Amino acid sequence: MKRIGVDVGGTFTDLILWDDAGQVVVHKTPSTPADPSVGTMEGIGVLAERAGIPVSDIEMFFHGTTVATNIVLEHNGADVGMITTDGFRDLLHIARKKRPLNYSNHQDLPWQKWQLVRRRNRRTVTERIDATGTVLTPLDEDQVREQVRLLRERGVGAIAVCFLHAYRNPVHEERVRAIIAEEFPEVFVSLSSQVAPQYREYERFSTTALNAFIGPKVSTYVTNLADSARAAGIGEDVHLMTSAGGLATARSACEAPVSLLTSGVIAGLLGGCAIGRASGYPSVITLDVGGTSADVGVAPDGKLRMKHLLDTRIGDYHAMVPMAEVDTIGAGGGSVASVDEGGMFRVGPRSAGAVPGPACYDRGGTEPTSTDAMVLMGWLREDSFLSGNMTVRPELARAAVDTHIAQPLDTSLDRAAMGIFKILAYSMTEAISLHSVRKGYDPRDFSLVAEGGAGPLFAWHIAEQLGIPRVIVPRHPGIASAMGLLTTDLRYEIPTTVWTSSAAPDVDLIATQMKRLEEEARSQLRADGVDDEHISMERSVDCRYMGQGYELRVPAPDGEIDEGWVAATAAAFHDVHGRTYSQRFEDKPVHLVNIRVTGVGAVPHIIIGEIETGGEDAGPAIKATTRALFWREEPSAPEWFETPVYDRALLRAGNRISGPAIVEQFDSTTVIGINQQATVDAVGHIIMERKSA
Amino acid sequence: MTALMPTTGVSLAGEATRTWKDVDVDPITLRVIGGALNSMAKEMAQVLYRMAYSSLIRESEDLGAGIFDVNGRELCESDSTPMHCGSIPAYIRGINRRLAGTYQPGDVVLHNHPYHGAAHSPDYGVMIPIFWQGEHIGFAGCTGHVSDIGGNFPGLCMDVVDVWAEGKLMDSMKIYEAGVRNDMLIQHILDNVRTPEQNRGDLEALIACARLGERRFTELLEKYGLDTVMSAAERWMDYSEDMLRRRIREIPDGSYEAPIGYLDDDGKNRGIPLKVAVRVQVDGDDVLVDLTGSNDQVPTAFNVPFEGSVLPTAVSAIRTILLDEFLTEEFVPQNDGCFRPVKAYAPEGSIFNPNFPASCFARFSQVNRVFDSINLALAPVLPDRAIAGSSAALCAIAYSGLAADGESYWVYIEINEGSYGGRNGKDGMDCVDSLMANTRNNPIEELELNHAMRAVRYELREEQPAPGEWRGGIGSVRTWLMEVDTFLGSEADNRSDPPAGALGGHDGRSGAFIRNPGTDREEVLFSKVTQEVCKAGDVLEIRLPSGGGFGDPLARDPQAVLDDVEDEYLTAEDARRDYGVVLDTDSWTVDEVATRELRSARAAA
Repeated sequence: MKRIGVDVGGTFTDLILWDDAGQVVVHKTPSTPADPSVGTMEGIGVLAERAGIPVSDIEMFFHGTTVATNIVLEHNGADVGMITTDGFRDLLHIARKKRPLNYSNHQDLPWQKWQLVRRRNRRTVTERIDATGTVLTPLDEDQVREQVRLLRERGVGAIAVCFLHAYRNPVHEERVRAIIAEEFPEVFVSLSSQVAPQYREYERFSTTALNAFIGPKVSTYVTNLADSARAAGIGEDVHLMTSAGGLATARSACEAPVSLLTSGVIAGLLGGCAIGRASGYPSVITLDVGGTSADVGVAPDGKLRMKHLLDTRIGDYHAMVPMAEVDTIGAGGGSVASVDEGGMFRVGPRSAGAVPGPACYDRGGTEPTSTDAMVLMGWLREDSFLSGNMTVRPELARAAVDTHIAQPLDTSLDRAAMGIFKILAYSMTEAISLHSVRKGYDPRDFSLVAEGGAGPLFAWHIAEQLGIPRVIVPRHPGIASAMGLLTTDLRYEIPTTVWTSSAAPDVDLIATQMKRLEEEARSQLRADGVDDEHISMERSVDCRYMGQGYELRVPAPDGEIDEGWVAATAAAFHDVHGRTYSQRFEDKPVHLVNIRVTGVGAVPHIIIGEIETGGEDAGPAIKATTRALFWREEPSAPEWFETPVYDRALLRAGNRISGPAIVEQFDSTTVIGINQQATVDAVGHIIMERKSA
Repeated sequence: MTALMPTTGVSLAGEATRTWKDVDVDPITLRVIGGALNSMAKEMAQVLYRMAYSSLIRESEDLGAGIFDVNGRELCESDSTPMHCGSIPAYIRGINRRLAGTYQPGDVVLHNHPYHGAAHSPDYGVMIPIFWQGEHIGFAGCTGHVSDIGGNFPGLCMDVVDVWAEGKLMDSMKIYEAGVRNDMLIQHILDNVRTPEQNRGDLEALIACARLGERRFTELLEKYGLDTVMSAAERWMDYSEDMLRRRIREIPDGSYEAPIGYLDDDGKNRGIPLKVAVRVQVDGDDVLVDLTGSNDQVPTAFNVPFEGSVLPTAVSAIRTILLDEFLTEEFVPQNDGCFRPVKAYAPEGSIFNPNFPASCFARFSQVNRVFDSINLALAPVLPDRAIAGSSAALCAIAYSGLAADGESYWVYIEINEGSYGGRNGKDGMDCVDSLMANTRNNPIEELELNHAMRAVRYELREEQPAPGEWRGGIGSVRTWLMEVDTFLGSEADNRSDPPAGALGGHDGRSGAFIRNPGTDREEVLFSKVTQEVCKAGDVLEIRLPSGGGFGDPLARDPQAVLDDVEDEYLTAEDARRDYGVVLDTDSWTVDEVATRELRSARAAA
């Protein structure tokens, strides 16, 4: 079977074609932000040509996109109207009333400055449902009709319907949808009881409004892409990566575009999991470093973890949807180094971007960046840029580092360059430790997968700092994300609030709701054309100790729901709480707040094939020798080392390399530190470990 | 703590005892240790609020956490709410006066005495001494506001006779001694509060938080050694001090006075406003916040602990204005260095420096007024930094009652938001916690699931915002229906002296509590009530203050005025009267000619 993964980023679109024989063809092309489907379809044409097949031979198409993310970050979504409960017009404006910065009179409150729904279009109607789901005040349908007509006259592109306690009883929201269908059938509609059926009104309304805000544009994009793919004869429907690390069909993605908000960054983590598995190391930490930012993910046993409710945001908006834990920080090849007026050495988060870019690019940038530092340290050679058809001027890097860092700090150029690297690497180390050590995971149990153009430059040092025993540099670090698209399944998660205590659990309620969720998930997958034999269900429960304010997500057992099931779930919660907070209170009752079902529709995954075997001697792959800067122990003086440069394409399984060494390939450079040795494994991954003493 | 000197005041900065060797730290290691200190404080705070029980800790992040040296000098602190920043050093000085020389590894100390450093008594503080190679070298500490401390009234208190009536005091109590837990003492503490289960959970969260700090700091020492870590910490404190002093030097030397402000009353003697006098003196790179002339101390809980609350406020206000995080690219960490250039003075026996044993439980409205006055004092000389008057109060309401079992209490404390004054270049922020407060609200749906209260309304106030070139922020209105008989306690203010306009902007709007509005039982309540009873079926409407305007309203962009009308903040009449803007409400456009004429006629008048 021939499958393609297409990962559309802000600058580049990465494409990968994979067949069951393990043949891999990759392609990188500039993104076309005006209509990303144009660049995508053109790229697919080139990819197929390189593989020597017609486009119509492609059977499956998997896609990761930042379309949804960009609409939110650039504030250019639809004009949204809102129908909400009388008396609660401004919940989106008040939000959780906590300002982002403590010490600032001049900050903006993003939800007020860039409103998802302007106040004039937030319309209220008489209705009220209480916490038990009982209707206290019936819906005034005439008012609904009047407000929908007003919104139609104003030409809104989407309507969010948000009533209090609709997660418990959606009857009023559903009635409003029926009225909208009569009065304004062409408008995009989002119901809070459907988009995020859980208690916490602000987060639910915000998620629903976000869905409406991005809905029209995202569904147009997805529909266009699916139509183009179909027209080109590509076999199955387009599958899109969701924030939770599963796939959705085009149809599902159009209904719940909010599930695509972090689509673009999840695939890198999934790719890392597959790479780790292929090399026999399932527990991975992934580090994907590009020009302006770095993505960090942690997957114990190759399983994604979901973010805490307080952390599921996009930009400054809350989105109460499952998001796999991947963090993006402002650290990359373009990160700018400076010495501030108080004499402190700083690197990032500001980036020189592609324009003006690092000083050595000679595009007008004069400030030193981490790329300039690595040119000075001899890790990035002029030749390596040349294979990317670019010329660089090391003397400009030297001048920038000298003027802006070495002179103000009264230190040598070598130390200044090393400092830029180490300080930037430290911010990545911190991000990884935030998601590992501080969540109760020991980095010594993981392997670090280096991805992106710059990840393999940093990984060796970060692994040393955190005591991660092993670095894996995949065969194609630059397209690990695109590959990740081909390694997961259709996954639809549906939650509901049950609000019951383990001390006196409402077992019937849980059982009834669980059954309903499983049926919903199953019918969703059937509608996507998945056979029953490929469908499975996963359960989880959001729990907290009675009286706490925030839940933790706990995997829950399969099988019949009874007192024993509740006890097993509570036991699992004690473990998760203990891991997260180093405290467990087994005598306290556990509050089961939400239950969740994830319907999984199995999709065949790619298999990473083996490469040609060679001996231990990697000598034949050496293409040059260079001088490169390293240091022996922390903190110590930098020294210059004679360093061999290897050609990645010539490495063979079984080759061994002793650090210091540099490995170059088309779109990435790998550094092997002086304390490390590396082996090329059967599937062509470089496995780097610390030299034994 | 040295004696108060009228000419210089005192600061929160501590004295260094160098038990380590000062060494050179290279710039890279310096950055790494600085980053590690900040992230350990942040991590401590996160553990505390995510596992806490009290809604004030978990939702409001009414907590502080950090690492301190043996004298309580702050090496790093979490940025949770400004009110807690800089209060922990005073707790440590408080416990040191009793316990210095007795610390052992494995000790855990609980403290809440407001005359010995506590911010106020409901803010439990937990301190753990950190040992390195057998030597006591510092503390990991944190504070958090618990739901009830067994005072005269559940949750909050106002009309109480003294500090013993406001709650149970714990002065430097070792709840663990050399690793051995004193269960009997802990039981005694919990037996004497109305919310024992919640307080037990919060105490465990505080201990977990401080232990985490102890562990993380020890790991840092293991990696770099005591001399390097402490020398780097010194350098960071000097850095923060230097950055703040640079900005202070840019203000012309002088004495800047805010308009005298008035608090409504003391919660008992109705109709007698309390004076707040704030003078900011700038002298080179030093600032003094002088509260001379403010009211004498009052016979209720409406006094302010000087060390634990006035000093952190002075620091936060100056830091906010001069190193505004939005306008400053560099992150300047919160530590002892920020305290050094800022001193405060309040006469003994005044509301800002009461004499023992006056109660000082309810202090937030007063310190927020001080912060607001510092802004107003500096607005003429720093128009690009300081802002118009904000909702300079805090509206806290404790709802409580006997639970269905008839034995335990339910207590729910709600911190209602405020709003900000207009700013040069931007309208004031609407509906948000202001100045020293920065807390989250609780989901309405959660409250309705937990308590017998039903939300009727939660929206922006319908009255128009304070006019200005940059209009004032808008406060909210929140209405609760009590489904059972409910006790009410409140600490609020800003009924009689609304947020002030600046540089030609209009004054904002006061707040209000109205019981059963729009009925024949309508009744306006005082801002501070003690054990007021609401019957089942009663409705309470809470209106929060709206901030003052900044600059001349006639200079406001007419398009912005039109937008405000379309968003139903203003009527077309308001636009004409207050802004000199004439609108065509059929086409929703500005009548530019008529507007120009009206505005020039107004300017000539």
